[in-house]
Amino acid sequence: MGIAAGALLGAISLAAGGGPVSASASAAAGRHDKANVTINVAIAYPAPPKSMLEAFTAKTGIKVNYSYIQWDNLQTKIAAAAEAHTYFADVADVDWSKVGEYYSTKWFLPLNKYFDLPSLRAQYPQIDSFIRNGQLLGMPSDASLLVTTVNTKDFAAAGIKKMPTTLAEYTADLKALKQKGVVSTPLDIPLAAAEGLSTYWYEVTAAYGGQVLSSTYEPQFTSPGSAGYKAMQWIVSAYKTGLVPKGNLTLEDYQGFSGEAQNRTASVFSDYSGDIGTIYDVPSSSKVVGDVAYIPTPGLRGTAPNLANPDGIGIPALARHVQAAVTFIKWYDEPANQAAFAGANGPSKVISGFPLPANVAGLEALVKSNKVPGAAELAQLAEHHSRAIFPAGAPPWYPAFSNAVYTNIHSAAAGQESVASAIKAIAAQVASLRG
Amino acid sequence: MRGRAAGETEDLHHAAARPLPLEPQARRRRWERPGPRGQSATRRDGYLPYAMIAPLVVFIGALAIYPTVLTVVEAFFHIDPLSPPDHFVGFGNFSAVFSNPQVRQSFANTGWYVLFGVALTVCLGTGIGLLLQRPFRGRGVILAIVVLPWALPGVVEGVIWSWIYNPTFGVVNSVLKSLHLIGQYQLFIGTRQVESILLIALVQAWQITPLAALIVLAALQSIPDELYESASVDGASWHRTVRSVTIPLIRPALAIATVEALVMSLNIFDQVYVLNANATTASSIMSTTYFITFQNLNFGQGYALSLLATVATVLLSVGVVKVLYRKVEYR
Repeated sequence: MGIAAGALLGAISLAAGGGPVSASASAAAGRHDKANVTINVAIAYPAPPKSMLEAFTAKTGIKVNYSYIQWDNLQTKIAAAAEAHTYFADVADVDWSKVGEYYSTKWFLPLNKYFDLPSLRAQYPQIDSFIRNGQLLGMPSDASLLVTTVNTKDFAAAGIKKMPTTLAEYTADLKALKQKGVVSTPLDIPLAAAEGLSTYWYEVTAAYGGQVLSSTYEPQFTSPGSAGYKAMQWIVSAYKTGLVPKGNLTLEDYQGFSGEAQNRTASVFSDYSGDIGTIYDVPSSSKVVGDVAYIPTPGLRGTAPNLANPDGIGIPALARHVQAAVTFIKWYDEPANQAAFAGANGPSKVISGFPLPANVAGLEALVKSNKVPGAAELAQLAEHHSRAIFPAGAPPWYPAFSNAVYTNIHSAAAGQESVASAIKAIAAQVASLRG
Repeated sequence: MRGRAAGETEDLHHAAARPLPLEPQARRRRWERPGPRGQSATRRDGYLPYAMIAPLVVFIGALAIYPTVLTVVEAFFHIDPLSPPDHFVGFGNFSAVFSNPQVRQSFANTGWYVLFGVALTVCLGTGIGLLLQRPFRGRGVILAIVVLPWALPGVVEGVIWSWIYNPTFGVVNSVLKSLHLIGQYQLFIGTRQVESILLIALVQAWQITPLAALIVLAALQSIPDELYESASVDGASWHRTVRSVTIPLIRPALAIATVEALVMSLNIFDQVYVLNANATTASSIMSTTYFITFQNLNFGQGYALSLLATVATVLLSVGVVKVLYRKVEYR
C-alpha cells in the first residue's frame, strides 16, 4: 500500500463508517448474515428517500449506511481499497466502463449464483454491459442513455420548424441559431479532460455510423474517412467555430450541461437521459422549464443509435455481508422502486439525477405514471435504440484508453495539437495497451 | 527604554504565575519515593517521557514511516492489478515514467508551479507581515480575514476560483472588460501553458500565503524595538531599515515560509484537478501520479513517481534551508 493509497484509506474508512479490516477478518465476519446487520453502501447517486430505506430495514432487518460519493472519487476509493486488500463496502458502484477491469482484477464478486441470468435478459435491455465472459459483475441500477436534447423555443425562434434528423441538418441548425443571434453559443460539449468528453466522442462516432473499437479492441478511428475521425473533427470544429462556449474547455459534463439549463446553449448532442426531468425542468435551477425536449439523435443518414451508459451496483470481493448486499440490490432494482426513483411517485421519492429505470417493468411503470416529461420517448429509446458502446464489453484497460481519449481531444480543441495528431496518440495508446 | 520596560513587566508576570518552590523534604517525597519493587521513582519516571510520546510515534510510524518504506520498496516492483503477478523490475518503473511524455510535461509544469508558487507566497506573505507588524485599529479583524483562505480546503478554493476565472460570466472578465482592458471575455485557463499554471498557482498562493504571513509576522514581532530606534536615530529610511534590519533578522522565518511554499507547490493537486481536470496543459506531478495510479491502475509507476516527488521535495527543501537559514539570537 503506498502513501496515496494509505491516505485514501483513511477517507474510505470514514466514508464507509467503519474501520479497515483485513481480508481474513472480513471473511470471518459472517459474510452470509442477513438479518440485523448493517451494510455499507457506496454509490455515485444520492441516497434513496429516507422513508423508502426505513421501509427496507423494517422489512428485512438490514440497516443501510449509505454513502453518496461523486463518481470519479468513488472509483478511486474502490481501487485503493481493493489494492490494499481492505474492506470498503458491501454494495458499491459498478459502472459499465469498469466491468472489464473488475473481471480481470476480481475486485467484485460474480453475481451469477444470486440472479438468474437468462431471465434477466428479457427484463434488462442493458444487462450485456455488465457481463464479461459469462460472469455477471454488477446489476444495472439505471438505464442511462446518451440522448440529444434541444431547446425547442430557441429552435423555433431561429425559424427552425422541423427538428433535425441528420447530423448535417443538426449542424446547419446550430449555425442558424448562432447567426440569427438566438443563442451565441448553441452547442454544449463538456471539453474538460474528463470521462464525459470520451463518452461524447463515442456518441458522435455512433452518429457517424461507426464505433471506436472493434470487438477485438482494434482502433476503428485512424483513417480520415472513419466515423471516429470525423466525429473528433466535428467536435473540435464546433468549438473552434464558436458553436460551443469558450469556457467549456474546462467544464466537465456535470457542470457543462447547466449551460442549457441557463439558456447559454440550446442543445446537447450527447446528453444524459433523465436530464429534462432532473435539470432542465427544475424551476429553482433552470431558466428553460418546459422548453427542452428529447429528439431522436441525428445520424449520418437518419436516426443514430443511443449508446448505453448505464450504472450498476455490485458486491466488492471483500464485502462483509454478501447475502444482505444481495437483498439490497434486489430491493434497489424492484420495478416499483426504480420507477419511484425516476419520479413515478412524485418528487418526494425521487433520487436526484436518476435517469431511467433499469428494467422494462420499471420503465413501463414510469411511463404509466405520466409524471415525468419525455419518459415514453426515453423508454422507447432504451428498449429499441440502445446499443453498448463496446460490442465486446469495455476492455480491462478502458480507464487508460479513456484517459488518452479525453486528454487528446481536449488538447486538439485547445489548439495544442491537430486532430490527426490526437488520433495518432490515442491509437498509439491502444496499441500499447493491447500489448 | 520601552523594550526593557516591557521585558521587566513580563518577568514580574512570570514570577507571579510561577508556583512556590517546594521544600527539599517535600520534593524528595514527591520525586524519590521508592517504587513497589524497590526501584527508585526517578528511574521509573525515566520511562514516562517515552510513554508520553508513544502514541505519536505509533501514529507517525503507521501513517507516514510505514507507507513511505513500502513506497520505496514497491517503486521497484511491477504492481498492476490488470497484469499480475507483481515482480521485481529494478529501475524499470523509473525509466517507464521518464519515457512517458505526460510525466515529462508534468515535471516541467511543476517547475513553473514551484517558481510562481514560492515567489508569490513568500513575497505576499512578507508584504502582509510587514503591513500588520505595527498595531493599528482593526488589525485583528484584518488578520482574521487574511487567515480565512488558509482554512478553506483546496477543492473549495478551486471551485470558487473556477467561477472567478469563468470565461462566460467570471468576475475577472467582468472587471477587465469594464476597465476596457479586454474587448471580449477571455478564456484564461486551458489554452496557454504558462498562463494557466500562473493562474492556478495564484489560487494556491491565495491559500498558503496566510501561513507564510503568520510565520513572518511572528518573526517580525520578536525583533526588539531598540534596533528600529537605532536605525531611526542613524537616519535610515523605511526601505533601508527593512533591507538592513528586518530582512536579515527574519531570515529563519523566511526560510520556513519558503520551504512551506516549496512543499505545497511541489505537491499541488486539488486546484489543478478542479480548474483543469487531467489536461496536460497544466498537469502537475501529483495529478499525473494520481491518474497513473488510480485510473490507469499502474501502482508500481505511481509509487516510483511518488518517490521521485518525495526525493525532490527533500533535496530542494534542504537546499533552501542551506541558502536562506541563518540563526538569529537576541542578547
